[in-house]
Amino acid sequence: MQRLLPFLSLIVLFVALAIASPHFLTETNLSSVVRQTAVINTMSLGMTVIIIAGGIDLSVGAMLAMSGVLGTMAMESGMPVPAGILIGVLTGLFWGSLNGFLTTRLRIAPFIVTLGTLGIIRGLTLIITGGLPVHRVPQSFAFLGEGNLLGVPFVLWVVVICAVATHVVLEHTRLGRYAFAIGSNPDAAVYAGVPVGFDTTAIYALGGLLTGLAGMIEASRLMTGQPTAGNGYELQAIAAVVIGGGSLHGGEGSVIGTLIGALIMGLLSNGSDLLGISPYLQQAIIGGVIILAVTVDELRKRRSHGDG
Amino acid sequence: MLLDLSGIQKRFGGVTALRDGNLAVEPGEVHLLLGENGAGKSTLMKIVAGMERRDSGRMLWQGRAAAFQTPAEAAAAGIAMVHQESLLAPHLSVAENIFLGREQRLPFGWVNRRRMVEQAARLIEEHHFPLHADWQVGRLSPAAKQLVGICRAIQHGSSLLIFDEPTSSLSGAETEEVFRIVRTLRARGMGVIYITHRLEELRAVGDRVTILRDGATVHNGPLAEVSTDRIIQYMVGREMVSIYQRQPLDPGPELLRVEGLTRRGVLHEVSFALRTGEIVGLAGLIGAGRTEACRAIFGVDPVDAGTIFVEGRAARIRSPREAVAAGIALITEDRQRTGLALRLPLAYNVTLANLGEISHFGVLDRQAQNRVTTDYIARLRIRCSSGRQAAGRLSGGNQQKVVIAKWLFRRARVFLFDEPTRGIDVGAKAEVFAVMDELARSGAAILMVSSEMQELLQVADRILVMRQGRISGELPGRTTQEEIMRYAALEPEAI
Repeated sequence: MQRLLPFLSLIVLFVALAIASPHFLTETNLSSVVRQTAVINTMSLGMTVIIIAGGIDLSVGAMLAMSGVLGTMAMESGMPVPAGILIGVLTGLFWGSLNGFLTTRLRIAPFIVTLGTLGIIRGLTLIITGGLPVHRVPQSFAFLGEGNLLGVPFVLWVVVICAVATHVVLEHTRLGRYAFAIGSNPDAAVYAGVPVGFDTTAIYALGGLLTGLAGMIEASRLMTGQPTAGNGYELQAIAAVVIGGGSLHGGEGSVIGTLIGALIMGLLSNGSDLLGISPYLQQAIIGGVIILAVTVDELRKRRSHGDG
Repeated sequence: MLLDLSGIQKRFGGVTALRDGNLAVEPGEVHLLLGENGAGKSTLMKIVAGMERRDSGRMLWQGRAAAFQTPAEAAAAGIAMVHQESLLAPHLSVAENIFLGREQRLPFGWVNRRRMVEQAARLIEEHHFPLHADWQVGRLSPAAKQLVGICRAIQHGSSLLIFDEPTSSLSGAETEEVFRIVRTLRARGMGVIYITHRLEELRAVGDRVTILRDGATVHNGPLAEVSTDRIIQYMVGREMVSIYQRQPLDPGPELLRVEGLTRRGVLHEVSFALRTGEIVGLAGLIGAGRTEACRAIFGVDPVDAGTIFVEGRAARIRSPREAVAAGIALITEDRQRTGLALRLPLAYNVTLANLGEISHFGVLDRQAQNRVTTDYIARLRIRCSSGRQAAGRLSGGNQQKVVIAKWLFRRARVFLFDEPTRGIDVGAKAEVFAVMDELARSGAAILMVSSEMQELLQVADRILVMRQGRISGELPGRTTQEEIMRYAALEPEAI
């Protein structure tokens, strides 16, 4: 019942906005919400798996920027659009794997490792571009972020496919089950013979891959490779997971929860725009919602676990 | 009367923890509080110590009605508790832990560290504890941590001390030390409430006894007037075989052989063999290297020398993963830390070590998972609401069965049980033994580490004794506690 709370909040928010603003329920606005939230949605899917496995990745914002930059540079140099997108995705995959490799091999807390790679990736991205955005991208690249397929934004298809795939991985594969086990009790996982090092690396790699894709969506929407893109996105992705019931202690979280969390944040920001609330206040509102959501979730857990 | 509780009730959500808790403690007595896990002992004590509030019932403290809202209030009134799982701050020193929350204050919130260390040192010296005030608590053994907890409780100058299973992690000599402390406290006129699962140690300290079952007091009176069998009956509420006795069977071929296992400073030339159908006991004092031997065989700790043979073939075991692949299972002494993913469903825990068998190309077959889980719940008589229940919400005995189920499903053949009955109540102990016996009969080889010698004598076919990292002796199953103690505690020349 209380599991439904985030979902109910989302619906209440949706209805409230529909009543408060005549512009909310228009096709233009809704598809712009979808396009705006697609980037954070895609990123937070990967973050969900990482957080369930008891980890965290602070470098995803920087990773997103480098993916976008390298992908668009490839297109600028004459490569076809799909190849450019692939390069962006592989960039994310590479850094994700490196994050996983470092945490498991060096046995350093992922918070520290990814704080470090955050700096490294951002710095390298600025060096590669000289701090300047990559502008000359083929017009057809816009389709990823701005195009329509079968009457709905193309990115919606991308997000839905990624979400279903992540859900299947989490709930129906060995890797997903191991993610829960590693996050819930890493020692017990080791003692049960789970390949903890390899799987943890795979989980960070998956997170990187989705971030790389998110980077290409962002680049497509801006039609530029921005070396400064994605600043602070890591916190939004983490917030989406946490609002959706994920626990930073690991072992808990779900794709559906995360999507709801990301949508709640997206609607709050869209609604504030429509109602003319200042973007400064928006940030404060979203911050408050994060704390509120986690408090409610904690209370629910405490009640259901009640010690005796 | 020091403490008088009557008709105490307490509910947690839909669960009744206490229906009718009654307990009366006089000054200068050691009052045993007995009952199976879940009988309500801990809840009753938490109410006394101000950690929980009662729903109804009467509590008199030194003749006056009392209701402590916080542990600090109870402590100020003179009630102190030594916790089962020591609630200590691992990064602080022994002295800091002893005085945590009651630091010697100087102006401006400074802490008088020197005085604190001196007082702690005096306290430690007074009781001859093997501790040092400067040591970091996180690095201490469970036994030493327990002693820190005791120091913490007695320095408060309390008139009632509650011991919650103080000896469950201690060796024989250390247990004696705890008894000695308890007797000293009693002689000073303090009241002591003593919770224990070890029935064999009752008579060493107790004066009177109160027994709880299903949240209600079912018996109280002088200890001398009840037999141990009677106590067990009160606790479980049914007639049961008070002592488990295993029917030994003829051992089959050798399954595991360990040769010259050495880990510098910890294990020296440990060699032994296990055969199918055998339950071999591993006895010794705390720190003798029993747990370390299990960890080394299971690939948790690296070894400097030694070979492990499984079914006659040398096995390369450098990680638990390789040990599991070789058919070895380790049931650790700390279920919660290394045995189970407590927040995950029982079904996940049962299948965790062998997901390969219920998946095709990495995709899980949930139906197979549920079938397997239901099967093991029935086979091992695991009491739970369903396979979806979180493992952490089961009782200690049932958690242990889940761990065993995990290894059964992995088709492990060599089982290393490290203190398999720690923190488990009487009824569940017998069931765990029965499962071990079944395992042996179905062709497994079992090594069982236990600090409860009585238990080893009941279950083991033969008993290896370790002392200071070496195997100091091998005894037949029908030996005596005295004989085990000689090998465990004495220099080889003295035996």
